[in-house]
Parts: sequence; C-alpha cells; structure tokens
Amino acid sequence: MPDIAAIARSLLETGEVDVVIGYIQSGPNRTKPFFARTGEEADRLVWNSSCLNNLSVYLTRQKRPAGKKIGIVSKGCDSRALVMLMQEHQIARDDVHIIGVRCQGVASAMGVPCDAFTRAEKCAQCSTPEPRVYDTLAGDDLPSPSAPARDVNAEAEAAAMSSEERLAYWTVTFDSCIRCYACRQVCPLCYCEQCIAEKNMPQWIESSSTARANLAWNLIRAMHLGGRCIGCNECERVCPSGIPLSRINRHLALHAEKEFHYEAGMDPEASTLIGCYHATDNEEYIR
Amino acid sequence: MNETTCYHRVSTEALTSFLTALLDGGWPVLTEAANGRGWELLPSANAWLNRSALPPTAQSYKQQVFPKSEPIFLYRRTAEGFELLDPPATARPTVVFAARPCDTGSVDVLAKVFNWDYVDTFFNSRAASIIRIGMTCSYTDEHCFCTSLGVHPSSSKGADLFLHGPEQGNYLLEVVTPAGKTFIEPWLALFGAAEPAQPRPRPGPVQRFDAATVREWIASHFEDAMWERIGETCLGCAQCTYVCPVCHCFDIVDENDAYGEGRRMKNWDTCQALQFTKHASGHNPREAQAQRYRQRVSHKFRYYPERFGEVLCTGCGRCTRGCPVGIDLGAILEAIAHSASTHH
Repeated sequence: MPDIAAIARSLLETGEVDVVIGYIQSGPNRTKPFFARTGEEADRLVWNSSCLNNLSVYLTRQKRPAGKKIGIVSKGCDSRALVMLMQEHQIARDDVHIIGVRCQGVASAMGVPCDAFTRAEKCAQCSTPEPRVYDTLAGDDLPSPSAPARDVNAEAEAAAMSSEERLAYWTVTFDSCIRCYACRQVCPLCYCEQCIAEKNMPQWIESSSTARANLAWNLIRAMHLGGRCIGCNECERVCPSGIPLSRINRHLALHAEKEFHYEAGMDPEASTLIGCYHATDNEEYIR
Repeated sequence: MNETTCYHRVSTEALTSFLTALLDGGWPVLTEAANGRGWELLPSANAWLNRSALPPTAQSYKQQVFPKSEPIFLYRRTAEGFELLDPPATARPTVVFAARPCDTGSVDVLAKVFNWDYVDTFFNSRAASIIRIGMTCSYTDEHCFCTSLGVHPSSSKGADLFLHGPEQGNYLLEVVTPAGKTFIEPWLALFGAAEPAQPRPRPGPVQRFDAATVREWIASHFEDAMWERIGETCLGCAQCTYVCPVCHCFDIVDENDAYGEGRRMKNWDTCQALQFTKHASGHNPREAQAQRYRQRVSHKFRYYPERFGEVLCTGCGRCTRGCPVGIDLGAILEAIAHSASTHH
C-alpha cells in the first residue's frame, strides 16, 4: 500500500487535486498542518500518532484553500467532521479527495510520544478507527482496530452530578475562560460567517469575561453543537485555560444517542439530527 | 553594579519564612498556577519551590495589570440625562512572586503604550500596587527566544526585587527599585546583610536572530509569499494574542444590566479576529488571515520599536507553545533574519 506522500504526489501530479492538506513533521513527536501544492511538497507529508489536528476545519468556507478540488488527509474521527460538513451542505463530496488513514490512536498532546498512558482520551471511546468516507485508504496494512468501548466516562460523569451541581461546577470552571474564542476557531463545525458572539445589534452574549457572560458563551456554543459535535476535542486541546470542553461535548453526544439513537457524522446521506423528525422520536425529551 | 544595587544572601528557609510572614500578614501573593494555565494565589509558603524549572504557564503576567475585562465607568439614566459613577476600585496591594524575566520584562514595554496619548490610570494604578519579585528562570525549551530580544533568564528588568539563583540552596536578592527597597526593608532581618556579590547569570537559549535585522526586513516585505504561507494554516484562533505578555489591544463596549443602567467595559480584543478591522461599510482592510498574521508580527517587531523604541515581545514562547497548528514565531523570526542576511 502506498504511503501518504506517494498518494498525495500522484494526486497532485496527475492534476486530480490542486492541493493536498496534510501533516508534516515539525519536531520530535510533533506535526503541523501543511498545504502541499507540488510533488516535492507532497514528499514532506507524514502520517503518525502525532497527527493530532483535525484538518477538516480547512474545508470550511472561510479557511478553504483556493483550488477546484482539494485533497485532504483524514483519520477516522476527523472524517466524521467531513461527513457533517457534507450533511450540512458545506462541502460537496466530489470536490474533495479524501486520503483516509486507519488510525491506531494519537497522542494527547504535541511533543509527547503516544503510548498506553499518553494516548488521547478520546481514542479510548473511538468508534471510527477507520474513516467513514474516503477515496484512498492509507495504512490498510495496519492491524484492524478493536471494537469501540462505550463512553462510560460520560455516563458516569452525567450521573454523578445533579443539575444544580453541574451548574455550580461549570460556573466555576468557565470563570477562567478568557473569551479568546480559540475553541470556535479550531472547530470544523463552528463555521458561521457571523458568530452569535459577535452580534451586537442586539447583543445576545456580552463580550466581557464575566461569570454570566462566560457561562452564556460556553453554553450557547455547546447547544449549537448538540447532535453535531463529532468529538475530535480540538477545542479542549487549544483552550489556554484548560477548560474540559470535551466533558460537555460528550454529555451532549450521549443525549443524542440515548434520546434519538443518533451519532453525528456517521453517514453523509443521512439527515442531520436537527434537520429531521421521526414519529417515534422521544417526546418526553422536549418539555 | 550601580549605586542603588545591593544583594542580600537568602537561604531557601529564609525565603519560606518570608513568604509565611507575608501570607500570615494577609498579603495576596500571586504566582504561576500549579496547573500550568494561569496565575493563582500562593496556597502555601513553599508551594513555589521548583516551579521556575517548569514551562511558563499558558497565560502571562499581563492579566495582573491589564485584566481580561474591567469596567471603566458605570452609568445610570436619571431625569436629567445620565449619571456616571466610578467603577469599584479593584487595584490592591499585591505581591507577584517568582515571576520570570520574560514576564517582568513586559512591564516597561506595556507602560509605554498605556502612557502615550492617553494616561491609562487603570493600568498605572494596578502596576503601582504590585510588588514584583522576579526569579531566575531555570527553564528553556526550543520555543524560548528571550535572549534574542535583550531579555535573559537572570534579567531583573521590570522587577522591584529579584532573586538570583539558587546556588547550593541560596539565592541572592537584588533590590531593583525604590518601591522594592521600601517594601523589603521590614523583612531584611531574615536575610543576610547587603554585600557586593556578583550573581552568576544563568545562560539562556542561544541567540537566534537580531531584532534590528528583522525590523528592516519587515519594513521592506509588506508583500511577501511568507505571509501567505503562514496565513493558509493559521486558524485565527488568537490564543497567541491572549496569552502574550505584551499584546494589549482592547475593545470598549457598553453592557446594560437593566434599562438605562449598566457599565462601560474594557475587554481584551485581538488583531487576529476577522471583525477586528471590519468597517461599518462592510469593507475590511485585513480580510485574509495572512494579512492579520503579518499585522501581528509587524506591530511587534516593526511599528512598536519605531514608535516606542521597544520590541513588543519578550521571547517567552507562549504563543508558539499554545498554537494549535504549530506556527513557531521564533523560527519565523529566525528565518526572516536569515533571509535578510543572505539577500544583502
């Protein structure tokens, strides 16, 4: 099976794509996103357990590179963001060539090797070690990934706190939010051209970093990602305040699964959770 | 050593006694938080031990003098119009302990812009209410470049008091400013008598570039493919500007609590946001991320030095450590300096 660089080189040299969005090594156990436009540049592309970034964010309208057709390297979790972008009509399937990679798990942070102790938390609950959509699959000589574990942590966390306790916990936790909006900028599904956080006529959310405004911002963002977040955890990785945003996201994903048997970003042909209605939907949920 | 500089030998035990006395006396003592994120009140007198060997916290000292949000006045509608009220005073005497030179080095740099066309009493009163006790930084990684910008792990610039060392469990206390001298006088009995010692500076990262060369290159490369290349992967997440010890842009916005009552807030803002330069007409002079990144580098290494004679960067490396897409400011500046020297 050819490696990432060979696939990318061939796609670029045959003119199949104008650019390949992938990863290059930037230090020991460290990679960074890179846009390859020539065969020579494609030779720099790598795939390993330090490829943490969810590159799907580069296919949103504001961040997409110029070019008719775009190649993109995508691991399983990231491919779910691509699926969501297709489901929400942000990208057309034919406009991208997805170089899927079969993933064995990635490290929790840049600069650290990936082993049983340092593997990203999300990888323990991964249900998509193989991408949901792809045109070419690299790394298919790797062992077939094991079956996913249920997200028992999210269930336990949700059960451990009453709603009053949860509110108290998050009010304190959000206090350290500095409102940089880095969480939003790295999110492949936060693609609104005008975010509600920046609307000021009327101003829905105060821009001050105060307890009530921080709570408002973070909860509104969470609600906008309900049934949409695919759990890549890029928001948590970038947060300069270390806010455990994945706890909220997993909680929401758990609700979508329990109440609507819905898992985001699994099928490009499926409707979005918010965009569909079934007579069998649990009405008790909406009160 | 100039006339006002003197050194006191301080053992680790004496330092702990001093901190115990401060905490017992009710002083708020701020230091880098153990969780590596922001700053916290020192929980106990020996909680600071060995922290200077850890990476700098994600967030800088800046928030102590320039908080992320602060009211500049309160307003209330009256029968005659509006009544303006002073905001509650929040600056209070505080000790910042074991600050690194790349943090205390921000003090004079920030003071220039906050006292330029408008004298910012919010910044000044906070800065004046803080006693900054600096400490030799014993951490270096590939993202540090303080020594390329005139800062080094033992520089006391911006500190009121500075602890050099440790060497065999002892520090040398440098009394840097008159405020530091007044503050430390009641505690001097805990330390050794003033002596003409010569603290051994700790070597820092190797100097990677020359700031003047970088400035010249930027001035003549407003349009350059390098900006485009950085701009394509930069997500405009802006964490770099928020964690930066010297980025200081803010927005002013009114927030109503109730009809006709509220406050005018001064909140951190960022040149990396698309909306930062968006005009009411809809035109945006910095529409692309490449332009916004160029602005950040140009402001730091060209405009600010041109206007204020200081580089708007202390080389702490926080922007790079936190960048989700691996944009390495030190490497960019090094590349710029290299390019400048090979093309001339």
